[in-house]
Amino acid sequence: MKADQNYCVALFDSVSHVMKAEKILKNADIPHKLIPVPRSISSDCGVCLRFLPEQKDAVIEALESNIDISEIRELLL
Amino acid sequence: MSELINAKGLACPEPVVLTKKALDSHDEVTIVVDNEAARENIKRLAASSGCMVDMTEEAGGVFRMHLMKQQDKQTGKDTASGCLCPEDMPISAHGPTVFVFTSNVMGYGNDGLGTVLMKAFIHTALDLDKKPDIMVFYNTGVKLAASDSDVIDDLKALQEKGVKMLICGTCVNFFDLTGKIGAGNISNMYDIAGTLTTAGRIVKP
Repeated sequence: MKADQNYCVALFDSVSHVMKAEKILKNADIPHKLIPVPRSISSDCGVCLRFLPEQKDAVIEALESNIDISEIRELLL
Repeated sequence: MSELINAKGLACPEPVVLTKKALDSHDEVTIVVDNEAARENIKRLAASSGCMVDMTEEAGGVFRMHLMKQQDKQTGKDTASGCLCPEDMPISAHGPTVFVFTSNVMGYGNDGLGTVLMKAFIHTALDLDKKPDIMVFYNTGVKLAASDSDVIDDLKALQEKGVKMLICGTCVNFFDLTGKIGAGNISNMYDIAGTLTTAGRIVKP
């Protein structure tokens, strides 16, 4: 893990959406990581999915027909 | 040199913090507080930093406390622990802080949710100010340390920061994970029982 890496996070309305999205990304072989929602962002559900910015289109494509993504944010370090 | 602090309306631990700061540069400090918790905490601070206290109660539950340093009574102790507010409680015990992972999920009830929570917990452990000294994994907890586990990167990063990890060998064998552990050291019940009994604090997510 590179320390100076920028990431994107996908936020969802509920934990069950996060879990479903995680499963879809796993099946699609899109690298991702479930992390607590960063303190700087507020979200009800507390966990989100982190991925590399270059995977953003792939993530959206894999998820959009199945789950509502409430927001995608870039994490600036 | 004397210093006057008005700490009325301030919640614990602010009055103690202000008093402690003032004592760093003054031999006498007068502080005015309006609640009993602050009064008691400042009394404790005074005792632990070798100060005499003169206290007068004024109208409306206001206390004026005059602290004077005793020249021959330097304790040199860290007096921030004079306050007993939860957020200011000292990490009490002697001995290492041990995180115990008795299962690969966090909490009981729903394992899907427990899996999510555990991932979030271990990721957060990386950012804690007070990291564990040792992490112990047993029963299904050892699955977290498998080389294909979702949290293996975080565990490796914790290990690089000096966290020691004991992985129950019996459990690794039971779950057929021999040779598939990606972080920590395979350990035995002697080390695990010894670590648990000599821990200063045990944290079980």
